[in-house]
Amino acid sequence: MSERPFIIRISSLSKHYTMGDQLVKALDKIDLDFRENDYAAIMGPSGSGKSTLMNILGCLDTPTAGRYELNGQNVAEMDDDELARVRNREIGFVFQTFNLLPRLDCLRNVELPLIYAGVSPEERLERSRKALEEVGLGDRIDHKPGELSGGQTQRVAIARALVNHPSIILADEPTGNLDTATSRDIMDIFGRLSDAGNTIILITHEEEIARFTRRIIRLRDGRIESDSAP
Amino acid sequence: MNSSLQQFRYETGESLNIAVYQIKANKIRSFLTALGVIIGIVAITMMGTAINGIDLGFEKSLSMIGYDVVYVQKGSWSTMGQWWRYRNRPDIETRYAAEINRIIEGNPGSELIVAVPQMSTIQASARYRDREILQIFAMGTSHDYPLTASGDLSAGRFFTAQESAAGDAVCVIGDDIASGLFPDGRATGKSVRLKNHNVRVVGVFKKQGKFLGLFSFDNQLIMPLGAFTKVYGKTPMVTIRVKIRDEKRVPEAKEELTGLMRRIRRLPPGKADDFGINEQQAFKSQLDPIKNGIAVAGIFITGMSLFVGAIGIMNITFVSVKERTREIGLRKALGARRRTILMQFLIESVMICLVGGIIGLATALSITVLIQNLLPDFPVSFSPMLVLASLLISVATGIISGLAPAISASRLDPAVSLRYE
Repeated sequence: MSERPFIIRISSLSKHYTMGDQLVKALDKIDLDFRENDYAAIMGPSGSGKSTLMNILGCLDTPTAGRYELNGQNVAEMDDDELARVRNREIGFVFQTFNLLPRLDCLRNVELPLIYAGVSPEERLERSRKALEEVGLGDRIDHKPGELSGGQTQRVAIARALVNHPSIILADEPTGNLDTATSRDIMDIFGRLSDAGNTIILITHEEEIARFTRRIIRLRDGRIESDSAP
Repeated sequence: MNSSLQQFRYETGESLNIAVYQIKANKIRSFLTALGVIIGIVAITMMGTAINGIDLGFEKSLSMIGYDVVYVQKGSWSTMGQWWRYRNRPDIETRYAAEINRIIEGNPGSELIVAVPQMSTIQASARYRDREILQIFAMGTSHDYPLTASGDLSAGRFFTAQESAAGDAVCVIGDDIASGLFPDGRATGKSVRLKNHNVRVVGVFKKQGKFLGLFSFDNQLIMPLGAFTKVYGKTPMVTIRVKIRDEKRVPEAKEELTGLMRRIRRLPPGKADDFGINEQQAFKSQLDPIKNGIAVAGIFITGMSLFVGAIGIMNITFVSVKERTREIGLRKALGARRRTILMQFLIESVMICLVGGIIGLATALSITVLIQNLLPDFPVSFSPMLVLASLLISVATGIISGLAPAISASRLDPAVSLRYE
């Protein structure tokens, strides 16, 4: 298992905020690694720093101190545009609130990352269609998000996360807005994606969701409390 | 793998799609936003059209009075409106023409070709049987008059040197008089009644249109000076028309003519001229202040409405950025760079302005066409330069007003905006 190469290497990474005159250590000198094809859940109560960690992992935010290496690149020192490029190439986001654009049909929603990657329109359509087929929505490509169920909407979002072949898929409470049965469907998809070799990191506060993964990282007060198999 | 140029193209394409969608989705809002630009563009094009039209109408009118003719008159055109300065000057007399001609004949190097007397009245009317035309411009002159004026004849001939010398009761009439008195089209040979004199029509001028949209050449009746004074007596409106050799040597000709006039008037050296020598250039200098006035007023109105329009667009774009904070966050999360977002909002505001500019142009064009149909003599002209300028101004307004909101959008923190409700 340790033969698999590292995708993410984090060492003594901190994120501090000042709230009023109080210093908040959202993350306090964390060391954390992910290898290729990891399937991990990051858990913790609210205020534990898991959202901050998710933002930093997703290159939406930069740490105050420490090192974050993604596929060998030091993300901690990148500027806004370099971060945008890394998000585009390396990270597939899945959000709790789906974040699809309601006016665009599924195909157009899924192709968005490819526009920013500079992929030609023909190839965009081709790859978007394939990604939608992968999540079982090949017959819904011209539907708009408003015409889909919650589970289907999240599957479109997963297709969008996959479409640019990212190094990691980062899912922030992906089942938070879904009922139990639909949540199970979504976790089945993540399971299949993991079997296909993808690296997946979930942020969740639900134990039964975390149990689908192969590794659970628990955060408390900005530090890692435990890191183990479920 | 992909060139950044290609990426730029795809991103711009996406921005255009978004902009078109946003404008379509918020039609009324977009229209109200663009209203300031629309008004501004209408103002600027109408102003430009008016100035163009004045220039054009002027050129047309000036070509009617000729570039190679100067006019000896009591007053000066370049100081029109200051009639009191000329009140005490002696009247111009028609005999000066003959005297000038005699001097010219004795001087082969003269800049002047021929002088033609002209005595006129605007208080004239012409009758034929039961038809009457009021307010015609009646003029007595010599047979050389056609040398100093434009206007071909559509029928008949001008009066001859003999008729001129004898003061025969013959006349050449403008098109409006001809069609008014003789609807059947046959004017020559008939006699019109001026006061209690019968004057035979020997020729009819082709239609010429109005001079500066005010004075119509088609409303004139020209006869030998002798005949004129028999009908109307001596009137004070006397002009000596002098044709010059070279229209490029107007100043030299004026100087020579001034000398001649001083000789005729026997003015001692040191005494100021007591006559005016006019040419069409004087009209142009009269016109410049009017044109400048229109331009200043137009620029002010345009500037104001574009300013108001720009603020409106800025405001709406800020609202739009606020409304779409989550979308901006999402696009950034998916890889949109700062300049991509910046471009997206700039393209949107430029497009609103451009649509506004095009609506404004269309409005101005319709107004122009309407004016041309209602008032055919009113000088208006729509130029391609004006269209180009309007579109450029629209684009500039879009960029200026969209810049601040677009920058604020491009700087949004993706992590924060993704959670924005």
